[in-house]
Amino acid sequence: MHKPSNKKRIAIFLLLGVAIYFLSGAVDELRVYQGASVAVFVVGIASIILLTGYSGQVSLGQGALLGVGGYAAALMRIHFNTPIWICFAVAILAAAVAGALLGLAAARLSGPYLAGTTLAFAVGLPSVANQFQLLGGEQGLLFDVGFPPLSFGEDFTQYKWFFWIASLATLIAIFWLQNVMRSRYGRSWKAVRGNDVAAELAGINLTRNKTLAFTLSAGLAGLSGALLAMTIGTVSPSAFPLALSFSLLTGAVLAGVTTLGGVMIGAVTLVAIPDIAGAVASRFGSSEAVTNNLPGLLVSALLILTVLFVPNGPVEQFRARREHRVNK
Amino acid sequence: MTRMNRRTLISASAVLVVAALTAATVPAQAAEVGVSNSEIKLGMTLPMTGTASPGYNKIPGAMKAYFDYLNANGGVNGRKITLKVEDDRYVPTEAVAKTNKLILQDKVMALISPLGTANNKAIAASVNPARRGVPVLFVNSGFSGFTDTTKYPTTYSILPSYVMEAKIMAEYIKDNFAGKTLGLLYQDDDFGTDALKGFTQAGITFAVKVPYASGSQGAAGVPAGWVTKLSAAKPDVVILFGVSSATAAGLGTAAALKYAPQWILGSVGGDATTIKASGVPAGVLYNAIGASFAPATTDADDEYVKLFSDIYAKAVPGSAFDNNVLIGMNSAFVAAQALKAAGPDLTRKSLMAAIDAKGASFASAALLPLNYSKTSHVGYNGYWFGKYSPTGDLKPVDGKYVLYTTDSGSGAVVKSTWKRPAMPAKGLPN
Amino acid sequence: MIQLLNTILIGVTSGAIYALMAMAIVLVWRSTRVINFAQAGLALASTYIGYEALQIVDNYWIALICAMFAGAAISAFIEITFMRILLKHTSSGPIASVAPIIATLGLLGIIKALITMIWGGQDAVIKPPLSNTGFSIGTHTLVFSPMKLAIIVSVALLVFVFSLIFQKTNIGLALRASAYAPEIARLAGVKVDLVRTLGWALSGASGAAAGLLLTSNGNGAFSPESAEFSLLFISGFIAAVVGGLDSLVGAVIGGIFLGLITAFVLMYISGSLFFIAPFVVLLLVLFIRPQGIIGVKAGRRA
Repeated sequence: MHKPSNKKRIAIFLLLGVAIYFLSGAVDELRVYQGASVAVFVVGIASIILLTGYSGQVSLGQGALLGVGGYAAALMRIHFNTPIWICFAVAILAAAVAGALLGLAAARLSGPYLAGTTLAFAVGLPSVANQFQLLGGEQGLLFDVGFPPLSFGEDFTQYKWFFWIASLATLIAIFWLQNVMRSRYGRSWKAVRGNDVAAELAGINLTRNKTLAFTLSAGLAGLSGALLAMTIGTVSPSAFPLALSFSLLTGAVLAGVTTLGGVMIGAVTLVAIPDIAGAVASRFGSSEAVTNNLPGLLVSALLILTVLFVPNGPVEQFRARREHRVNK
Repeated sequence: MTRMNRRTLISASAVLVVAALTAATVPAQAAEVGVSNSEIKLGMTLPMTGTASPGYNKIPGAMKAYFDYLNANGGVNGRKITLKVEDDRYVPTEAVAKTNKLILQDKVMALISPLGTANNKAIAASVNPARRGVPVLFVNSGFSGFTDTTKYPTTYSILPSYVMEAKIMAEYIKDNFAGKTLGLLYQDDDFGTDALKGFTQAGITFAVKVPYASGSQGAAGVPAGWVTKLSAAKPDVVILFGVSSATAAGLGTAAALKYAPQWILGSVGGDATTIKASGVPAGVLYNAIGASFAPATTDADDEYVKLFSDIYAKAVPGSAFDNNVLIGMNSAFVAAQALKAAGPDLTRKSLMAAIDAKGASFASAALLPLNYSKTSHVGYNGYWFGKYSPTGDLKPVDGKYVLYTTDSGSGAVVKSTWKRPAMPAKGLPN
Repeated sequence: MIQLLNTILIGVTSGAIYALMAMAIVLVWRSTRVINFAQAGLALASTYIGYEALQIVDNYWIALICAMFAGAAISAFIEITFMRILLKHTSSGPIASVAPIIATLGLLGIIKALITMIWGGQDAVIKPPLSNTGFSIGTHTLVFSPMKLAIIVSVALLVFVFSLIFQKTNIGLALRASAYAPEIARLAGVKVDLVRTLGWALSGASGAAAGLLLTSNGNGAFSPESAEFSLLFISGFIAAVVGGLDSLVGAVIGGIFLGLITAFVLMYISGSLFFIAPFVVLLLVLFIRPQGIIGVKAGRRA
């Protein structure tokens, strides 16, 4: 199956955009808010797919990079009152810089050392905000993207506004990411992931290659963080906990960590599971403890099952089976 | 056109048609959210689990106990009150998510007693109950900022603010510990800085101030660090202005290190039952000073304490009637009166109008009046001081309640002579 | 002077507990080249089991031994059922390096959720068997009590026992062989599967001890959300990396080192640096000496 050309891809993305526009008008506010959360996860999971799936580097600290993006966006808004898009752009840049630094450090490490460093990064970086009054301390800073333009009418809720902004940003980000993955950078990452010694012999500079992956992935993470900050309205250390990094990793595995195709599946699962679990638990009238923990249990179980039986993710598995059938 | 394009176009058109059809159906205008002919739905977020939860997680049970009692006696204007509780683990972002769920999914009429300064600020910034017109009743936080009616037009405080509490503590210290050196343990967020503001305003200086990061009080070695720093500066009096788990950790560790200054416990963390439940011996609390605005929970002659502890004992047998329970039931009682005063035509607007107009005359268990009016969303504004008995229960000094009142600004601290009116019959709103 | 002494004592005591957790991590790493993130949850589960045992037996030390046995049993069970299947399914392919990490993370999530469902989110309290009142030197009281002394003695005992096992038997060598070159080890007569399971079992026991002793370092209260437990794993992991990830001695040294540095930072700089200090220690060590204090350079690239 050949990949669609650029013109066709643009058309698909435009159609998606239109579909989203109509969808947002047809559902209630809670779904719209959840839709914004899905967008946040789509970008976040995509960043992990780039880093881990394509470049083969494991990071347990993606949540901290989201934090860098979120704080950067909030600070721009508070101190310079810049328009949203500039806030987002700054968030991407700031996170990319942080990612580059982390990537440089990480290029020399692998396996558990890399995991450990990124883990410590995930726990330590958010607490840095506590040290500086500028960063708002434990409480954090407010991130107010303002109200939707009055021309949209009275009924246009703020959550719908979030959804529109998040969807647009996500569509652009994923389109861009697809381009990058098809470029020679994408191919060189895949080469390094397959066999780094051979890739180096073929002339690829390992450090530069890996750091680039970290940087770009971090930029995406920064955008995701800024979108997250928008939907919650505040940035604080508690908004970017270790659990966030784990959730993104989980979503990436559920999506199929080596390909972008399943990214929606991962994101929707992460948002939908707590919802469904909550509904199931309250139907059976279980105790508080069960209701609160059922989502976590389900997500973890799903994660383990996926890793065991569908390690490359549902999309890749489906494609492989189709090719197998064709080749027969 | 290739097969691929045609297929995409057809499926996209299908999506559009479906979307357009669904968009065309507009739901009919509903009656007031969260109110039906038989039910009023209220929603609440607080830490039910996690480091900060000890003590506070009894509040929902206490409030439900009162609401069930009220419902059994006819409810409010024929409607029963249901309370939906969500656990936010004291994390502001979870508070936002859970509040979203309460307002958008469970469609509650109003939020009641959401707990935590940082949590409430996050809720205000993100969920924005003010813009939605959702009343936020009787916030479980003493942050003075919440009384600003331009920033939080639908929010009603009930606890005296931390600024008030600090000023009143300062006055008590001037009256009883003049000339002694002071130390302070506080949480390093708005909760703690609000108190610092009050102390500074009252002209208090500390020989040593120890901040702690919210959540770190459970980690090994951290409370030992506080105590070592405090004891190094050797203050005569130490104020513990943290949450219950931090206060308990501080007291327990100090006892283990044989450090025993005169303790003053802030109201937020001063609940004796919670402190004792986390392993601190009652003897450590003995002669520590604490503050409250409600009658002492051991005051068996107080009519509110008698009724509420009775209701609670029947609803949650085996659970101790402590300050968290008393204050929780009191908030439920005041909320019931507000709902009743709004009349049978109950809307969010009429509820808030009722509190503005009649709130100052609502009955409550507290020994201080409520201060609601069209221009003020301030609840109680003062404290009495007590000492913990050998069994670790807070009792007023010399058996008499002496009430100090003040404001959140630069007003002076004065002793109040207000007498609490009699409880309405059976503790039900009249 | 007293403050300095207190800081050292606080550091050594918490460091000893980190060392136990670090040993647990190193044991799994040595036997299966996997970082077992579920170790944090396993330690917590074992602590709860110790708590239940305490309710029945009313003797802390017996409860501790029960907890260690439970930890060993659960870990062995996980290795036999779960990890073997996992490693078989994911030994190749793009997800190979990531799979164990993600799978153990998933396991951690399941364990934590189950614990909270069974025991609830409230604090459970394990009363420390010995007093926590500090010893006095003249008018000063040290942050060192009979209980804390017992903790250090227990850790020292466990480290001694573990090193004995490694020295007097071939286990140490067999573990390493099973991890690096299982086929060759099998040919040499090593019962690879048994050795791996044993490695996990020992790890579980060590983690359980760390968990239980951790509660006794404070006032005995703990819950699934306790900050101390979440940090126990990270600190243990950092201690293991600092120590070189491959040796038990390194784990102990790493643990004490981390404990001391954290205590000094908290005391002399600021209490709110609690979550940052371990991170900074890790970065410094990895930059200056990436193989850890004791590690061998060749072992760095997994």
